[in-house]
Amino acid sequence: MTARATTTGTLLIASPVDVLHGLRDALSAELLPVPVCPVGNDTVGFDAAWADVDVLEQWREAASTESRTAAVVVAVWPATQASAPLTSMSPADFARRSEWPFVAWYAALGVAASRCADGGTIVALVERPSPLDAAGWAPECGGADAVEALVRSLARSEGPRGVRVNAVTTPARVAPSHPIAPAPPLSAYPGRIDVEVTDAVAMLLGAGVGGVTGTVVHVDCGRSWR
Amino acid sequence: MTAGASTRVVLITGASGGVGRGIAHACAELGWTVWIAARRRVEGEHVAAEVTARGGVGHFVECDASVAADLDRVVATIVETSGRLDGVVHNATSGLSPKPVVFTDVPLAELEDHVAVSLRGLYLLALATYPHLQQSMGSFVVLTSEAGFEGKAKLSVYAAVKAAQRGIVRGLAREWGPHGVRINCVAPLAGTPAMGRAFEMDPEMAARVLGRNPLGRMGDPAADVGPIVRFLLSDDSRYLTGNTLMADGGSCPIT
Repeated sequence: MTARATTTGTLLIASPVDVLHGLRDALSAELLPVPVCPVGNDTVGFDAAWADVDVLEQWREAASTESRTAAVVVAVWPATQASAPLTSMSPADFARRSEWPFVAWYAALGVAASRCADGGTIVALVERPSPLDAAGWAPECGGADAVEALVRSLARSEGPRGVRVNAVTTPARVAPSHPIAPAPPLSAYPGRIDVEVTDAVAMLLGAGVGGVTGTVVHVDCGRSWR
Repeated sequence: MTAGASTRVVLITGASGGVGRGIAHACAELGWTVWIAARRRVEGEHVAAEVTARGGVGHFVECDASVAADLDRVVATIVETSGRLDGVVHNATSGLSPKPVVFTDVPLAELEDHVAVSLRGLYLLALATYPHLQQSMGSFVVLTSEAGFEGKAKLSVYAAVKAAQRGIVRGLAREWGPHGVRINCVAPLAGTPAMGRAFEMDPEMAARVLGRNPLGRMGDPAADVGPIVRFLLSDDSRYLTGNTLMADGGSCPIT
């Protein structure tokens, strides 16, 4: 077996959405795009989320064999989304908002594990509605909790080779424009991806938190305490 | 005795054995009507008969919890036969749940069975039952797992769908609360056939699981877990929603 090359740069495994460009630039990261969701607005039923799972599998296999690097950031984000009660969602809505993100996150974090060098760091950046603002965002709440569990699973499996795995959450795109009382402690709520969120990702990638793994940092300006 | 206990009509998915069967037994003790929804007819009918023998009214309905038509038919049957639906327990889980696989080796196609039963099933069951739970000011309980809090190196998909259930419940609690419907989770650690299979596939798992448990034993599905779920289905918990109760003997370090 041939040893893979290792680099010192940052790899950003992310959905090709504009809002993440600032993160890529701030981290000077190489972008590895995650395949886009195949569930369209005219889709009916759940099947579309799984019809292209082979495409995602092939992407995972190909992406996993490239060079390793010291720092990997993963962000599987949809292009846009809107608040809606779960019981008003069609099966296609649920597939788009819950099932496809689940399998895409799983694939992307698997690539992250394969691409992260021994002693390296992985950070998952996930959208998470704050608990007070969870109404209308049930699939996204579920997705955020799933990523938290996946991060802890990876922290366990990759820890023996010195790899740290953590998560940063943000409600930047899923926060209500008029949050219910009490007001978030920090006026910067819900936080800016290019500023507060990027800073937290950079902190977890840095050398100063060498003993931190399996944790989740909520960058929501104090909207949720855990 | 729990207020209104004798009039409760509840539906439990995946109740042909294990934790679901234990919940059914606990509900039977209060004389409740319990609908056992499961794919395995012989085992499901047996549990329904046990419910009746223990003082409740047991029914079995064949059902795949990931199929909308099945769930719609089951709920229609319940409402037509029993006249109402007071409580729902989503306990069904994928048959792949106890299969240990390294994170990066899990075929992505295998994720669909986990997702279909645990997440799609929760969504479909919510759709099918919510109108009836609104009428009865009822309660919905989801069986999650401590794995969803702390992750599992070789059960990562199971851990993730169990975590996702908690998040969905957090959202639903805020959507349903204003309409008088409660929804909570229970994270059990119980001696079940599924757990037995997991121990067989990972021989070191038993030592890991029991070694950190302050009570030093696996929970009993009927005596330890069932009453906690029954509590959440009853009016005794009428001010409780959006929570996860850990029925794990103090095992999980994260709550």
